Amino acid sequence: MTEGPQLKRKWKWRFEKRDRTGPLIQLAALIGGLTGALLISAILIVTAKADIWLAFGSLFRGAFGGWYAFTQTLIQSTPLIFTGLAVLVSFKAKIFNIGAEGQFFAGAMAAFWVSISLAGFPRPVAVLIIVLASLFGGALYGAIPGILKAVLGVNEIIVTVMMNYIIQFILSYMISNHWRDPGDYYLQTAFIPENVRFPMVLPHSRVHLGFLLAVTAAVVIFCFLWKTPSGFEIRALGESRSASRYKGIDTKRIIILVMVISGAIAGLAGGSEIAGVHHRLRLDISTGYGYTGIIIALLGKLHPFGVVAAAVFFGALVNGSTSMQVSAGVPVALVYALQSLVLICVMAAEVLSQYRIRRVYDVE
Amino acid sequence: MMLSEILTSAFFTSLFSGMLRITTPILFGATGLVVTNRSGILNLGVEGAMLMGSFVGFLVAYQSGSLWQGVFMAAVGGGIVGLLMAFMSVTLRVNQTVAGLAINLLFTGVTLYLYRIIFADFSGSILPNVEIFQAVHIPGLSEIPVIGEVVFSQQILTYIGFLFVPLVFYFLYRTKYGLILRCIGENPAAIDMKGVNISAYRYGATIFGGMMAGVGGVFLTVASAGLFMQGITGGRGWIVIAIVIFGDWKPVRIMLLSMFFGLIDSFSLQLQGVGINFPYQFLLTLPYVFTILGITLGGRRAGAPLALGVHYSRE
Repeated sequence: MTEGPQLKRKWKWRFEKRDRTGPLIQLAALIGGLTGALLISAILIVTAKADIWLAFGSLFRGAFGGWYAFTQTLIQSTPLIFTGLAVLVSFKAKIFNIGAEGQFFAGAMAAFWVSISLAGFPRPVAVLIIVLASLFGGALYGAIPGILKAVLGVNEIIVTVMMNYIIQFILSYMISNHWRDPGDYYLQTAFIPENVRFPMVLPHSRVHLGFLLAVTAAVVIFCFLWKTPSGFEIRALGESRSASRYKGIDTKRIIILVMVISGAIAGLAGGSEIAGVHHRLRLDISTGYGYTGIIIALLGKLHPFGVVAAAVFFGALVNGSTSMQVSAGVPVALVYALQSLVLICVMAAEVLSQYRIRRVYDVE
Repeated sequence: MMLSEILTSAFFTSLFSGMLRITTPILFGATGLVVTNRSGILNLGVEGAMLMGSFVGFLVAYQSGSLWQGVFMAAVGGGIVGLLMAFMSVTLRVNQTVAGLAINLLFTGVTLYLYRIIFADFSGSILPNVEIFQAVHIPGLSEIPVIGEVVFSQQILTYIGFLFVPLVFYFLYRTKYGLILRCIGENPAAIDMKGVNISAYRYGATIFGGMMAGVGGVFLTVASAGLFMQGITGGRGWIVIAIVIFGDWKPVRIMLLSMFFGLIDSFSLQLQGVGINFPYQFLLTLPYVFTILGITLGGRRAGAPLALGVHYSRE
């Protein structure tokens, strides 16, 4: 028997793509990403010449250590739930509303504007009007880029970002020239009347109606997107625009609808901060909630309950960061870097989790 | 409105002189982004790269006393942002829109954080600052009235910025590598068959775009304001993106659009200086409003690289 060239058999490592990523793998990716972000932020903390354990410890205690801390976390989460939901709705349709920040201010301004004339109203009515006003203000501000995109095909990313800047200047103008608290040096308005403010909803805390509204909004959005025809059309648009058109879905209408809803929710975030937390309008009522909402929507996998979880997580981070600054001397700004880090690390982990390493017995 | 104050030659001189100065960061960013986009990478993280450049450049200039070291490190900083963008877009193949947004937010947070740590000792009204670049007066030519001051008395970075326009044009349209780059942006599968290393080109183009954006950013700190503060880039990165789209990915058009934008911004500054009875906040919105108008009236752009934002992989 003649022998051909010898075939060598040996164990090899192979890097290959999985056919499917089960929930266990996805969970592992999430945890892996969080760990990666924690490690990188530990490096950042060391750069600040601070003690890592002290920093993380005070961060955690500041977020969850005790009733006061916990309720503060909920309060901090409220605007993030709203903006996360707002971004979720638009991203589901593959419409990139980066303007939640501007729509937040639009809602806040609308809420303040009506609050001036609501002094004598009974409280439930006044609060309802505030909610409606902020929804409407945000919806209006969101409709503009929506109409531009639907009718003229204008890129919504650029328009919404530009509008974020524009409304800051409008706000500055209004507060400086028309709404300023008389006799006050600072750029802020007078306090809104007592009856317009959101009631507190948890005992021994400052958790306000906004939090309940936010959680309710999450449930409403869930039902809307998954249980109504319009919600289906929105999700379909995100899956495939051409297929949607083929099915007869009016894409123009959906685009405007999405931007209106998205803007409205972001506007309600603004109104909620005015009526529930600050009780007045100022230039600094947002710490980038609109932009953080994007991170939250993505981390929450574009699902309302995921958004709530991510928002509470980020609210915890923000809340704990003040303790961290006080106890460990780490600037609060770390948290904002950390938020983006978490997103990037989780995204990277997800990509990596699509591959696996297998040991195969193979021929050379 | 004091019309007589506006129609003086002094007004026009500072208007156009300011125009070229304000155009510079935008021009750097846009010229770099053209190269990146032409390779097919979207790079929405330009704002982050500019911010990183302004911060790193300022930091190095402050600590070393040398402005040019600052400019160099700003390019490096911007390049790092570009590298991260390339890694996420080319290697990880994450959705490029999301990657760009995430990178923007990341570097916004990181620069603020690092600034707070490093300059923690400064409190109150005295902010850390550097001596900015002096204007370069070209001998002889800068004596010409009006034009001399406008064109021949700019900062050296401005001259360099405008120099990059013909350089990039030449690279893209007159060299073999530029041709390959443009092909990668249109149809990577076709050029892959010729054995071109697509990833290398895309990485290079994105890092270059990041470096340019970084230099554009450092102009704001080291050649304009003299200090760093939160949000110093003021959305310019986004305006760069809009200009590249509106400029149909053509370098010369983009240069003209950047100058037009610089004119608007300079005009609003001059009006504020002259003292018009007009709320200054509305003048400040002009650049952003014009960007929206521009991108609305621009209509659909035919010059977009076909593979822009589309991932490429062999399988």
